[in-house]
Amino acid sequence: MNKILETSKLSAGYGALRVLHEIDFLISEGERIAIVGLNGHGKTTLFRALTHLVGWQQGSIILNEKEIGGRRALGAGRKTPSIIHAGISMAPQGDAIFPGLTVEQHLDCGAYTKDSWKNRSSKKEQIYEIFPPLETLKKSLVGKLSGGERRMVSIGRMLMEEASLYLVDEPSLGLAPKISENVIKALLKVEIKNSAMIIAEQNVSILKGNVDRMVGMHAGRLRGDVGHIALG
Amino acid sequence: MSIFKLNSDKQITLQAIGQKSREYKLRPKNNSIWQKFRIPMSRRHLLKWRTSYNKKSLIKERRLEDKRPLWWFISLISLAGSIPWLSNFALSAVAIFCIYASINLLWSLTLGTAGIFSLATMAVVGVSGYIAATANVYFGVPWPLIFVIGTIAGLIFGGFLALPSSRLDGLYYALLTLGLAEICRVFISQIHALTPTNGSINNVSSFIPEDWYLQRPGLLLGAASSFVLLLLALLIYRLVNGETLGRKLQVARDDEEFAEAIGINYHSARLKVFLISCAGLGFIGAFYAMYFRSISLGVFSLDQLMLLFAMIVIGGTGRAEGAVVGTAIVILIDRGLFELGPMRIVIIAIVMILVTTYASNGITGIREQFRNFRHRFQTQKRSLITTKGGEIMPEEAIDIHNKQIIYSRRFNSRLRNYLKTLINDEVIAEHKANPVGKHSYELTRLLNYFRKAEVPDKYAVAQIGPLKDSQYKIFAFTGDPEKPPRVVDERVYSSKNEAYHAIFLLRVNDLLES
Amino acid sequence: MDLNLIIYALNLAAIYSLMAIGISLLWSSVGMINMAHGATFVVSGYSTFIASGWLVPILKASLAGTAFYTPVLVFSLTSVALLSGAIFGAIIYLIAFLPLHDKPNFAIRSLIATLAINIATVQFLLWSFGPRQKALPKLFGFGRIDFLDFSIRYDQAATIIGTLLLVGFMLLWFRNSRIGLEIRAMMQNPEGAALSGISIRRRALPVMMLTGSLAGMAAILLSQTSFFSPTAGALPLIKGLTIALLGGLGSVAGAMLGALIIGILEVITGEISFLGQRYVLLIQFVFIVIVLIIRPRGLGGLLDETRK
Repeated sequence: MNKILETSKLSAGYGALRVLHEIDFLISEGERIAIVGLNGHGKTTLFRALTHLVGWQQGSIILNEKEIGGRRALGAGRKTPSIIHAGISMAPQGDAIFPGLTVEQHLDCGAYTKDSWKNRSSKKEQIYEIFPPLETLKKSLVGKLSGGERRMVSIGRMLMEEASLYLVDEPSLGLAPKISENVIKALLKVEIKNSAMIIAEQNVSILKGNVDRMVGMHAGRLRGDVGHIALG
Repeated sequence: MSIFKLNSDKQITLQAIGQKSREYKLRPKNNSIWQKFRIPMSRRHLLKWRTSYNKKSLIKERRLEDKRPLWWFISLISLAGSIPWLSNFALSAVAIFCIYASINLLWSLTLGTAGIFSLATMAVVGVSGYIAATANVYFGVPWPLIFVIGTIAGLIFGGFLALPSSRLDGLYYALLTLGLAEICRVFISQIHALTPTNGSINNVSSFIPEDWYLQRPGLLLGAASSFVLLLLALLIYRLVNGETLGRKLQVARDDEEFAEAIGINYHSARLKVFLISCAGLGFIGAFYAMYFRSISLGVFSLDQLMLLFAMIVIGGTGRAEGAVVGTAIVILIDRGLFELGPMRIVIIAIVMILVTTYASNGITGIREQFRNFRHRFQTQKRSLITTKGGEIMPEEAIDIHNKQIIYSRRFNSRLRNYLKTLINDEVIAEHKANPVGKHSYELTRLLNYFRKAEVPDKYAVAQIGPLKDSQYKIFAFTGDPEKPPRVVDERVYSSKNEAYHAIFLLRVNDLLES
Repeated sequence: MDLNLIIYALNLAAIYSLMAIGISLLWSSVGMINMAHGATFVVSGYSTFIASGWLVPILKASLAGTAFYTPVLVFSLTSVALLSGAIFGAIIYLIAFLPLHDKPNFAIRSLIATLAINIATVQFLLWSFGPRQKALPKLFGFGRIDFLDFSIRYDQAATIIGTLLLVGFMLLWFRNSRIGLEIRAMMQNPEGAALSGISIRRRALPVMMLTGSLAGMAAILLSQTSFFSPTAGALPLIKGLTIALLGGLGSVAGAMLGALIIGILEVITGEISFLGQRYVLLIQFVFIVIVLIIRPRGLGGLLDETRK
């Protein structure tokens, strides 16, 4: 099994606030990992550090044997497109999408390499298979969809690219329970052969038993197991 | 648990924190009260002396907190003193510097204090200059009176300009006013009466007697009166920016809703500042026509406006030093490299590009920009070496000015650490037996802590089914008004007390994890 | 009213819309007001002037009298104008966009930087060519087309058709190409665009080159009816800016509508005897101010509302 992503001593934060504390983390080909933890403990910051969107960061991030980490973020977002092109595909938290584009155009935006741009119609068919409701909404503006549909579009856009690492940030945030369950089930059905997937989630019960590993995140540090006092 | 307990096995490295002040300080001899001079009829002091006690030695120290008045005094005195010894060429340069600096001072009142992004400055100066010159040449108004006419013309023109300013966005207004000067130029160039002189009005009578014009005494008088004009502009700047109007607008800049809530009508204050600056520009327009004894269409040219804009941009908006320093730099390049012809404007443009690229607010803003950068850099460096999870030390975070935030964070984290020690099986059993009612000290502390939490950390009980024999489910709030609460898990509780206890356990879990 | 006036109004509207669309498009996609648009206009005018000094004798020697002469001349000079506009657009990109785009106050600072580029370019041209007015060769000849009641000069016909073609091609490209899609994505959500692998630094370049070539086109078309001097860019810049404001910054359709209204207004004002040519600018300006006071977002907002 090849290593997809290896971080060593990854720290990141915003100004005086240090959010991540020297994270050592490894994910290999074919793995599907869940990172669970409460709000404000650094799940999103970890993803944003991987894509160079935090205030500052330090430590090495090796993606497919290529160093994408940096001592200090070169202005948030400056290196992001090149990191994305190196093989990370991310569905950000909430609905960070383009409200004025149609679902189809939105999915097209996800295909950023030449190959995937050429094969985008077949790719889109696959996305519609994963999320059937999108097929009928093809031509409608994303800004007018419901929250669940928008999340599907956001995740669909992420899946348009043959990336080596998929990052999904809080797929169930703010959705009704039925819909969030559907979204996560669809996400778990996605085949990952040569790639890996990390899902950051608060809702542990949906993911339990369906992912390869479950990693807890507390106060900016990763913990191998998730400690819970049994309920009831 | 003592803070000062040092573990001998552990190597402790001390990090340097804070900044040493290398400023010169006065050491007053005894404890006598210092009688400071006040400006008559006001409660103001000339200089901002502040007394403090050295934190280590407890010696009384006096520090000049604002050194700008000193610099102003030195530079203005040396400018005024050098006037009699300058060459004729330099005298005209000084006069032009003073006129442009006064225009820029009044302009930066509009840009900085009032926050109206108007580019119609030269249009105001030109229009009121033309009206003043017309009054003098065609209607025979004597020269002392045309100052009044120019001022009134500027005020009225400013009133027209102010009409769309409250409706339009900053950028829209700026672009609209940019076109104004060009329109004035085209309009005046097509007035039939002025066609023979190519649009200019000549032979304006002036405070400089006619036979002195372009002679040494005339130039001396011109430079001296322009200097007085600069002093007047500085006075107006100080009176508007530093007194009631400026203070009101400063509050409004920080927080518009708050300003409105405490009864500041910042719209009218903004308008007043704009009108004052336009009236002042009208006065300068009349002065301009008199200084050159004529006024021509060159006032309205786009290049002229851009030159003026270059001065403001290079110096930095929103402060008097910026307007004057920027003017000085541009005039120095413009007059000092006179033999280069049009290329000196190219040099000014290059300086302008360099300044905008590297400085966020002109040359006078560089110091503050560098300080902010250093603070940010040092804070990041310090937060990298800190090992406390998600915590900020007040003296480390030099870029957070509200230390109260930091203190409350630290207090909360210590509170949590203490409360964690209270959690044990007994407390949980006590809550299970009796979720509502009188509790032990430990349980009360925990419940009080849970109650005062923010909404996103809280849970809710939802009732399912009919009122009798109903069941209960637990939801978690998202804290975002647009997003519905989410179900924590599918577990269903048969009684309210069970649900209460489940929430208690969830909150205990959250507390333990935090 | 004379029907020819309609043609004249359309002619003006075409040139104005070329300037206004360039400014509007750049604001909506990259978020900067390009004050150097006037400089682009002048630079492409001058490079066409130089190119025509080279090309016209060569073409006259080889193709004079044949049917190829006019098409070859038109094609070569137009492409020189478009190309030089695009190159100058790239220079603006290097100076005013690249170093500034992720700094605070980008809108104001880029406005200042482009303004400085404008000053520098105009002064440089004054220095190297002098303030004398230049005339570009008449590309399209002096003939007229008589069509129904209209009598259209060749250059007017070429202006209207050329503008329609160029703007139409541009809109089509913007709507269907991948770059157009990415630019629209960038406009709506910069961070989301960055996460889709779209780099604003890379995508801004084609937009700047495109708007530059629009200014180049405007230069070659306007120079058919008027002379050229280093300061000739100021008035087209101001008209383009105010029309872009009238149309609502960022709305291409609004800019075209605004240009049409202003063109018609200019012709009508010129015709009314007691107003005449000298009040044209004033009336246009007052009109734009009134429209903006009533609708601070310009005509573009109006179009959006009627579409709903």
